[in-house]
Amino acid sequence: MNNKGYWCLQLHAHLPFVRHPNYPDFLEEDWLYEAITETYIPLLSVFENFIRDNINFAVTMTITPSLANMLADPLLQSRYYAKLNKLIELSEKEVIRTINLPEYHSVALMYEQNFKNCRRIWEKYHGNILTGFKNLQDAGKLEIITCCATHGFLPLMTNETAQRAQIQVAVKDYEKHFGRKPNGIWLAECAYTYGVEKFLKEAQIRFFFLESHGILYATPRPKYGVFAPIYCKNGVAAFSRDMETAHQVWSAECGYPGDVDYREFYRDLAYDLDYDYIRPYLHSDGVRRNIGVKYCRITGKVPLNEKQPYNPEWANNKAKMHAENFVFNRTKQIEHLQGIMQKEPLVVSMYDAELFGHWWFEGPNFINHIFRTMQESNASFKPMTPVQYLDKFPVNQVCQPSPSSWGDEGYYKVWLNPKNDWIYKHLNMAADRMVEIATSNQSADGIKLRALNQAARELLLAQSSDWAFIMTTGTMVEYAEKRTKEHIYNFTTLYNQIKNNSVDESFLSNLEYTNNIFSDIDYKVYINK
Amino acid sequence: MSEKLSSKIGNQEKPVNKTGLPLDYGDTKITILPRDPICIFAYWSISNEYIDKLKQQYGESVFADSKLVIRVYDTTDISFDGSNANRYFDVFVTPKSNSWYINVGEFNRCWCADLGYLTKDGKFISVARSNKVSMPRYGVSNITDEQWALLQIEFEKLLKISGVNQVGMSSFDIAKLMRERWEEIVSISLPSSHSHISSSSSSFKTHPSYTPENTQMSENKEKSFWLRADTEIIINGATEPDATLTLKGQPIRLSADGSFSVRFYLPNGEDKYTIEAVSSDGTMKKNITFEVKKDTK
Repeated sequence: MNNKGYWCLQLHAHLPFVRHPNYPDFLEEDWLYEAITETYIPLLSVFENFIRDNINFAVTMTITPSLANMLADPLLQSRYYAKLNKLIELSEKEVIRTINLPEYHSVALMYEQNFKNCRRIWEKYHGNILTGFKNLQDAGKLEIITCCATHGFLPLMTNETAQRAQIQVAVKDYEKHFGRKPNGIWLAECAYTYGVEKFLKEAQIRFFFLESHGILYATPRPKYGVFAPIYCKNGVAAFSRDMETAHQVWSAECGYPGDVDYREFYRDLAYDLDYDYIRPYLHSDGVRRNIGVKYCRITGKVPLNEKQPYNPEWANNKAKMHAENFVFNRTKQIEHLQGIMQKEPLVVSMYDAELFGHWWFEGPNFINHIFRTMQESNASFKPMTPVQYLDKFPVNQVCQPSPSSWGDEGYYKVWLNPKNDWIYKHLNMAADRMVEIATSNQSADGIKLRALNQAARELLLAQSSDWAFIMTTGTMVEYAEKRTKEHIYNFTTLYNQIKNNSVDESFLSNLEYTNNIFSDIDYKVYINK
Repeated sequence: MSEKLSSKIGNQEKPVNKTGLPLDYGDTKITILPRDPICIFAYWSISNEYIDKLKQQYGESVFADSKLVIRVYDTTDISFDGSNANRYFDVFVTPKSNSWYINVGEFNRCWCADLGYLTKDGKFISVARSNKVSMPRYGVSNITDEQWALLQIEFEKLLKISGVNQVGMSSFDIAKLMRERWEEIVSISLPSSHSHISSSSSSFKTHPSYTPENTQMSENKEKSFWLRADTEIIINGATEPDATLTLKGQPIRLSADGSFSVRFYLPNGEDKYTIEAVSSDGTMKKNITFEVKKDTK
């Protein structure tokens, strides 16, 4: 079929840096372990199978620097491996426990197989799955982009040097993990403000993503709406989000993930099994919490105890059906757009990666079926990454994008409201102070150099937009507040010690050990130019 | 929430004693941040030294006789020098406050603010001047680029398809969606079913957090008497640690000392359960069979 247009899938994989080496068992580290099992490895596996089966695909994916640092961390790797082995042990027991329960036995077998597949992939990469993603990028199939170093929310930073540092540190860290410079960036929370593009240009970044009104409200008016990228005046390209594909997946009423055959997130085995049996698989405090093994399907609007057994085959059929529907809708949308635009449109679908697998268990398989359906049905549109688009269509309109984010209502209020506004006084002060001490110690060495580097780490960790986000959503608020206060406190202590030439070596060493993100950070990035 | 402030488990080390954060940093400063196209957030502090200085300069009664004010200047398209604003307006804030949300009332402008005192006789004593902010744009630009012009009607079609009225769909929306789904499940779940309900407090940052107790409909007590019972079977034993063990052909994992324990649901009827151990070199084999009958009456 004639090609009518292009589709760009952008997945944003991110978790805040959570690593607590001083505690053998730490609850929030589960965010990472669950995401590895449910999202990152399943996606990697889907992509690798595309290569094996010769399926044409192109995916753009953020792996944020904070996530990359966790995935590359030996301590977290070994903790994950131990967790995974426990899950495998449980899943083996479950296969036996359900031998007389045929309606659950097939689900139990599915989990055993999934977890063992995870272990196979984990072992293949010796515990560092970044290698797997890197290989896909090197093969030209995956475009891995970076993000602000610690997912810092740039529009609410008053200090430009601190904004720039979020980009500079990210790019350097990306090179370390992926062996080249990043072509693109996901601005944390898709939050753009005036002037950000100059830091991107400086870092040789070619493109970033915007929420739809970031382009629709651009000046001058963007000729093709969100269906073609624009260039900022300095030549950095901005790609913007298509809302139709966003709603197809997200909508509460008609979105795919709520289908009755899909897995029910809220019915977890940890609550169903008797305590003595499940106890060894809970955290050491023995409190029942989700363990990520769930045997029921959504079923319909019924109470949890009336949820019906999950049927892997039905779920797979639904994922395939939804993928076919998605491809059909894109075909129609792209043909319609091409008629209006008189040029091939680009439809950009962007999602949190963790939606696929963690929230929507069948999500990775849905992606699997999309690309297979496109190939098998010889679809009239092609998958494309932003760089492939820019190489093919180098001439694009020049506009000034509008500041925006992908949060509620499209601006900054998720990260700035009465629940979290108190943090900005401290964050902006710490940023100003970091610039002050870096500028007045331009060639530090010895312990002062270490203290300056650690101060930069503490500032960056405090700046994660996740903390403000959590304060707004109202879950795990105390942890988010604690992290904000802790990093500001650590920063301020180091700041005072650096200024007084009285760095406390044991305090510093402990921080270097605990908050070890960006091992080769250079504080000079904060020197005021 | 089942876990409080610290989520540490297995408290091996005492957390570092944190003094908390200062209320302010002893400086005199005002900062403004854009929240959306129409709203600015301002935060400030005034040092004690500065207050003393003001008292010296204007007399002890200066604070009794004046009001704390944020003077907001429209600085769009100008290089602001303090006196050339396009216009300004004053926002009266409460004396003890140190932050304020300000509705600027007009889209697509640039702003700067002074923190100061407005005296009874209308004199403005400026204390600090803020950074400048350019607000996020609101609405489609009416500037068009000749080279990239599109017919108005076609552009409107594109705008509509682009979803101009549907901003925002992100991790915040997953949090909202998942919360709504959870609340729906809770609202239709009967109290006797609450043991099946998952607490979700450990699960990802966007996750709504509830404990099982939340799902008990407090006043709605079932009065009818009830009984529920079922059976599971446990088979345990031991063999050589390096042997291979199966139950009905399914492999069973041995502990390091060669012991094993398996449990499974026992249905009605009669069945045979054969445990077979094979030595590591495959030369020796032993099996034990249990015949089990369950008859529920």
